[in-house]
Amino acid sequence: MNEFIAPTVEYAELSPLLIVLGAAVVGVTLEAFLPRRGRHRIQVVFTLVALVAALLATGWVAAGLDEVEGASGRGLIAAEGAIAVDGPSVFMWGVLLVFSIISVMLFAERRIEGGVSAFAGQAAALPGTEAEREASRQGIEHTEVFPLVLFAIGGMLLFPASNDLLTMFIALEVLSLPLYLLCGLARRRRLISQEAAMKYFLLGAFSSAFFVYGIALVYGYAGSFTLADIHAAVDNNTGSTNLLLAGMGLIAVGLLFKVSAAPFHAWTPDVYQGAPTPVTGFMAACTKLAAFGALLRVFYVAFGGAQWDWRPMIWVVAALTMAIGAVVALTQSDIKRMLAYSSIAHAGFLLVGFAGAYGGDGITSLQSVLFYLAAYGFSTIGAFAVVMLVRDPGGEATHLSRWAGLGKTSPLVAGVFAFFMLAFAGIPLTSGFTSKWTVFSAAWAGGAWPLVLLAVGMSAVAAYFYVRVIVLMFFSDPVVDGPTVSVPSLFTSSALVVAVVATVVLGILPGPVLDLAQQAGAFVR
Amino acid sequence: MTPELVVFWLLSVLTVASAVMVVSTPHVVHAALWLVVTLGAVAGCFLVLTAEFVAWVQVLIYVGAVVVLLLFALMLTRSPASTTGATSRNRPVAAFAGFSTFGVLAVVLTSGFRGIVLDLDSQPDQLGGAAPPERIGDTRSVGEAIFTHWVLAFEVLSVILLAALIGAIVVSGRVRDRDRQEAAAGGGS
Amino acid sequence: MTEVLPADGVFGLSWLLVAVPAISAVVLLVGGRRTDRWGHLLGTAAPAFAFVLGVVLFVALLGRGEQERRVGQQLWTWFEVGGLRADFGLLLDPLSALFVLLITGVGSLIHVYSIGYMAHDARRRRFFGYLNLFIAAMLMLVLADNYLALFLGWEGVGLASYLLIGFWQHKNSAAVAAKKAFVVNRVGDMGMVLAIMLMFATFGSVTFEGVAAGIEDASGATQTALGLLLLLGACGKSAQVPLQSWLLDAMEGPTPVSALIHAATMVTAGVYLVVRSGFVYETTEVASTAVVLVGLVTLVVGAIIGCAKDDIKKVLAGSTMSQIGYMMLAAGLGPAGYAFAIFHLITHGFFKANLFLGAGSVMHSMHDDVDMRVYGGLSRLMPVTFVTFAMGYLAIIGFPGFAGFWSKDKVIEAAFADNIWIGIATILAAGVTAFYMTRLMLMTFLGDKRWKSDVHPHESPATMTIPLVVLAVASVLGGVLILGGWIGHFLEPSVGPEEHHDLPIPVLALTAIVTLTVAVGVFIAWRTYGTKEVPVTAPRGSVLTRAARADLYGDALNEAVLMRPGQWTTRWLVWFDNRGLDGGVNGLAALIGGTSGQVRRAQTGYVRSYALAMLGGALLVVVSLLAVTLA
Repeated sequence: MNEFIAPTVEYAELSPLLIVLGAAVVGVTLEAFLPRRGRHRIQVVFTLVALVAALLATGWVAAGLDEVEGASGRGLIAAEGAIAVDGPSVFMWGVLLVFSIISVMLFAERRIEGGVSAFAGQAAALPGTEAEREASRQGIEHTEVFPLVLFAIGGMLLFPASNDLLTMFIALEVLSLPLYLLCGLARRRRLISQEAAMKYFLLGAFSSAFFVYGIALVYGYAGSFTLADIHAAVDNNTGSTNLLLAGMGLIAVGLLFKVSAAPFHAWTPDVYQGAPTPVTGFMAACTKLAAFGALLRVFYVAFGGAQWDWRPMIWVVAALTMAIGAVVALTQSDIKRMLAYSSIAHAGFLLVGFAGAYGGDGITSLQSVLFYLAAYGFSTIGAFAVVMLVRDPGGEATHLSRWAGLGKTSPLVAGVFAFFMLAFAGIPLTSGFTSKWTVFSAAWAGGAWPLVLLAVGMSAVAAYFYVRVIVLMFFSDPVVDGPTVSVPSLFTSSALVVAVVATVVLGILPGPVLDLAQQAGAFVR
Repeated sequence: MTPELVVFWLLSVLTVASAVMVVSTPHVVHAALWLVVTLGAVAGCFLVLTAEFVAWVQVLIYVGAVVVLLLFALMLTRSPASTTGATSRNRPVAAFAGFSTFGVLAVVLTSGFRGIVLDLDSQPDQLGGAAPPERIGDTRSVGEAIFTHWVLAFEVLSVILLAALIGAIVVSGRVRDRDRQEAAAGGGS
Repeated sequence: MTEVLPADGVFGLSWLLVAVPAISAVVLLVGGRRTDRWGHLLGTAAPAFAFVLGVVLFVALLGRGEQERRVGQQLWTWFEVGGLRADFGLLLDPLSALFVLLITGVGSLIHVYSIGYMAHDARRRRFFGYLNLFIAAMLMLVLADNYLALFLGWEGVGLASYLLIGFWQHKNSAAVAAKKAFVVNRVGDMGMVLAIMLMFATFGSVTFEGVAAGIEDASGATQTALGLLLLLGACGKSAQVPLQSWLLDAMEGPTPVSALIHAATMVTAGVYLVVRSGFVYETTEVASTAVVLVGLVTLVVGAIIGCAKDDIKKVLAGSTMSQIGYMMLAAGLGPAGYAFAIFHLITHGFFKANLFLGAGSVMHSMHDDVDMRVYGGLSRLMPVTFVTFAMGYLAIIGFPGFAGFWSKDKVIEAAFADNIWIGIATILAAGVTAFYMTRLMLMTFLGDKRWKSDVHPHESPATMTIPLVVLAVASVLGGVLILGGWIGHFLEPSVGPEEHHDLPIPVLALTAIVTLTVAVGVFIAWRTYGTKEVPVTAPRGSVLTRAARADLYGDALNEAVLMRPGQWTTRWLVWFDNRGLDGGVNGLAALIGGTSGQVRRAQTGYVRSYALAMLGGALLVVVSLLAVTLA
């Protein structure tokens, strides 16, 4: 019998992940031992400190990445082959943590609800009962959302960095479970929120099943979970191709579900609408980023050799996603549903970039998609933050007709929202233009010009419904007893300022961030 | 025919027969009990295949936890004596789903692992002294795999459980009176 | 084209041309009510400063040798990724210098005019902020040294135009018009974006220099595609057929906006683009012919629309389309026409701004009524407006000696030299122009008064009449630019040497024919409107008149060709997204279960229809993967 050899875990390189997950566990403990009175404040501060610490750690890790010999990327494979700490991973970690910090600031907002957070006072109380009214009257609230969101962030950090399919699956579950829960915790309109959580959970479980099934098939093909081994098997063309194709397809389904690409998008509008708005913003920015990271890693690293097999499939999905997202958004009358369809359309644009050139001298798909994700995330969190502010007595005024004339009653808020709409529409000098530009260039360079033609057409269609909102806000008369715009606390206002500034800066001087995305280089296997 | 093979076949027949009973008995509680037999027999198959760890996990989790949970659910939701409801017009659909799953799994597993032989009794010299013999499937090797190569995945799994636990408390837990008073005193600050 | 030299000395200041109006716009828009008191003054000072700087740069340019008149200034690198590098660079050459003078010169006058025109509007400061934004974006457009930065300005002027058309947001029609302008322009912008993508993919560069260097070696298909895509962009911005429909509606904006943006400057950006991209069109017969055709069709369509409208601004808008058609046509003729296109563009900028501001002055005194049928006899009450308007009128119809006479004549000559039928069409259109402009003059200023008793027409304040006088002088004297062929010679470094073609008939004879045709147009108008009473309610009119009143059914055409299919697609996709899947589920459940009860059950649960959609999607994905391998 041989001795047990202790595994080597690169604690230093994994520190961002470990800090976030560790903080989540500590957060749970705090939840148990702190008195209810000061708990919210302490949880917020603790969560933010942990995230900033993880961000600093990410910077430190990024600075110390070494070139890999014989390959184009920088980084290393850590934790016995489970995680690839390479350029793209570290870039995504950094961006994810920044988005998370902004999102947590929105989670912490309590002023606009009159002293309580946007989350249900007592999730177990049935909607509309005395118990629920009692709970909200007494200002009881779930501070568990902070540890839960940290769990989700931990999963998101792990997801795009996973170097084998099993770890990736576990990461998928780690990020999904807390999100299912968070979706059901809206303070207002509890029923629709619970319905959203239920739908998200059921469909998420369904998609996970596809993912696992795909993993099993690919394991059958390659005899390994590790991406590098799968890559080798694809290159050597061992095993049955049908097994590989079916496995690849099912893995794609699981991942495309998370990025809300058509035809796996059906959950998106319902869940975006029902979830508490800070959670929606968090999902739109962070889940999309993590899932795209994982999609790119699996398909470039593991299945790169079979790209001529999967590329047409991505073309079809990208075209369908853009068309459904952009066109169906035209008929939406709820602002959160409209933003949900907009996020579907953006997933389509991102897939266009994914279909582009992997290597070559020009901008690669990976870099362009990373940049797009970073740019889009800021605008989308900002847009949802604005949605939080426009309120009726019964909660957020999400029906579009309520936004009529907002430009006259609250020009600043309407102006900020209009700015985000212009960014989504891809008007120059906003981040939307530079990011679309890089993505389309990468796709064109990769020979996907028919897709680019369609994408440009679809962005014109999409521009129409973004502008419709602007017209509604500025060129229509205000509704009688229309919504009020709440004055937020420092949390939301600083989150908004960050989002606006980032959207401007990435539009005018995208150089530094593009450089970072470029230095991220290629995946390491 | 080796004795192991005989035992394996017997257990296989038991598995299939009891599985048929699960879906054919009109009594739901009986179905659940037959499920115990099926799962136990599968555990036996695992033992014969030297996958002892998986066998005990099968007993602990499926027989011990899943079926018990099932029985709880049955007893809490309907009268245990009832015989209605176990039959349904959905039977052909269910049969279709079951057979297709079986078909796909069978194809995948045979095409994936056909012809692969694990030599359990090999000695170092027979392997050219290259690698020490591995007892695939026993507790020790599973444990070693989990705590070396899959250590991170394993640790993260525990995070899922913790998150699920917190989630369960959040969606079902009621606020205690003491907290209620505290919160009232704090005025929702 | 000659080499581009780095900016030195005073040329190093050219970035201020863009920056000063931009900063002023930001101050006015962000500053809020604090800037209400002096906002219009700052807003006027910014373009005035740009004009002064523009003159200084122009003089400095004249002071240089002919081969040194293209000056480039690199500001910063917008982005650089792999092989893609986009610099934010400015290019000051004779072409852009002329545009700078036109934009800042006419722009400053219109700012001064707006002080009076918008005096009673509570949101005047915001108006000036938008105008400054427009000036900055337009200067960016003409000073850019690459297509990407040009596109930035292009979108910027579009945005400013959109904001200004919808400025009087209380009018629903203004909001609708603004939206229409935005949407139609997006169609054109798609052409621009695709053209830029194509350039990047083919030449690896989007600078004018880089594209010009590579265009010769590109494939014929690429050259043609590039030309047509750029033309699509130009059509959107310059309101050329088939993207003309927005311009008439754009008249909902305040009149100074119509003068500045929708007559003198922004709508000519398409012509600028075609001239600037001359190196593309010289390589492709198909695309350059398309430019000529678009120009010709718009020229005729605009003129016909102008004849039938009773709204004074819409007559002028139709006329703008028509005149830009002339420029586009000239630009499509290649080196023979570039200089004349630009020449006509400049003179048009003078007299059309003059006409619009005059119309604004009339409207100002008529309580913003735009219907010419209730005008009449205003010449005595508004003498300054009348005289200046008359100068603009004589210029646009091409009265000998006035600015329009020289420039339009040159375009007609070039057209004649190219193709006799195109030449004849341009001459006839000149006659039609004379007709509708005379009609406008007669209905507005002459004849008997037809306005109601509660309207008291009066002359406008000095801030409005002084710009009118200046522009009237320019309308009269604008022709001096052609003396000795100066403009063609001056533009040589930018667009290459002028080509001369032989005319089938002597130049003087041609001029005589044109003048005669114009006289006939004036005479017919006088017979129709000058000798008879003008009815206050419009008569039913002939088929052509009614068609022209309906903008020659441009909207109906758009509706049938673009909107209906678009709506149909939307409905279909929404149905697919919402009900199609459920329908599929229902159908499937009915198929399997065969009972209505199960159909009802299937309808209650949306999650399963979503799940079924996912299953279908998964099948789609796997099948498309397998299909590729098997194919």
